[in-house]
Amino acid sequence: MASHLSDRTMTDLLEGEGTPEQRAHLASCAACRSRLDNARAALEAASKVDVPEPPGLYWEALRRNVRRRIAEEPERRTRWGWLAPLAAAAAVVVIVALSVGERPPTPAGVAPTLPAWSALPPVEEDDNLAVVSGFAEEEALVADWEEGRGLAAFVAALSDQESEALTMALRVEQQEGEL
Amino acid sequence: MDAPTSTPALPAVLAADEAPAETGPSPREAERAAIEACKRGEREAFDQLVVRYQREIYRLCYRYVNNHEDANDLAQEVFLRAWRAIGRFRGQSAFSTWLYRIGINACLNFRAARRPPAQELPETIPDPGVGAAERVERAEQARRLREAVGRLPEKQRATLILKIYHDLTHKEVAQVLGSTVGTVKANLFHGLGNLRKLMAEEGE
Repeated sequence: MASHLSDRTMTDLLEGEGTPEQRAHLASCAACRSRLDNARAALEAASKVDVPEPPGLYWEALRRNVRRRIAEEPERRTRWGWLAPLAAAAAVVVIVALSVGERPPTPAGVAPTLPAWSALPPVEEDDNLAVVSGFAEEEALVADWEEGRGLAAFVAALSDQESEALTMALRVEQQEGEL
Repeated sequence: MDAPTSTPALPAVLAADEAPAETGPSPREAERAAIEACKRGEREAFDQLVVRYQREIYRLCYRYVNNHEDANDLAQEVFLRAWRAIGRFRGQSAFSTWLYRIGINACLNFRAARRPPAQELPETIPDPGVGAAERVERAEQARRLREAVGRLPEKQRATLILKIYHDLTHKEVAQVLGSTVGTVKANLFHGLGNLRKLMAEEGE
């Protein structure tokens, strides 16, 4: 007699499939028939056992609880969501940059006073930039550099009087040929 | 009472998907739209998926823990995990298959924690045609059989539950369990044989 049928083949036979050869083996092999009968009996018994139905209002309660727990979850980030922190940081930088040099509202009828540093030439045309950079030794400016604000922030933070004093000093030094 | 209910198994739900819709998107299209909305973070869309699969997931969990309280906790956990992971769902399998996989993993984790069983849900719909003594006897048989299923090795139990009670195809079971169709068939038959032995040991 050929070897017994495999579990896989027995499942096929249990489900009404299998080849004619396999069915022929089953007809002639009491051991395989017994295994199949046992499996069929177990399947029949197991199929009758259902899960007790929960109370009618249960499903709404389940959905409510799932909704509540999902609401407690952090916001989902989309594919580009990782850019959000960078975008927020960039927005802060722009806002700070725009707010630098901001002055209180000018009374009506009075010509607005330009900030002192607005008289300075562009950086690439400023022959005095080396001197201004020398001020970096000043403690306040060092702090500015260390905090990443740099030269522009230092100049922007000067009052009108300080700007005039700086301009005068630069002119004097230029006249004395030190530049 | 453990008489089979008329609750449609998953394939019936899927079969309904194929029926032509008179108006609006088909259930399957609606499911796809809900999944995409969930990926965009729209929490309300997930409710549709919960409505659709809550019964199947609850019943799957109940099969593992054999009591309502734990099945309820587990079902919530399954949906929460699905929400967290839905961004990674690529549609390479059916959503139901993916959800069942999360469910099986959650159930296995729960069993690994070995929590003591909570009180079982009382049977709610007694069959008026059956006497009290017979009802008690049937309930007892059902309890014994559920416990016997619970004593099967993990893969055999998962295979039996998905195949018999959720009516998944061999291929779907293989996808859920990360296995092959051949292994699923072997586990099913082996599991049924073991179940028969366990039932005999407990006096059936």
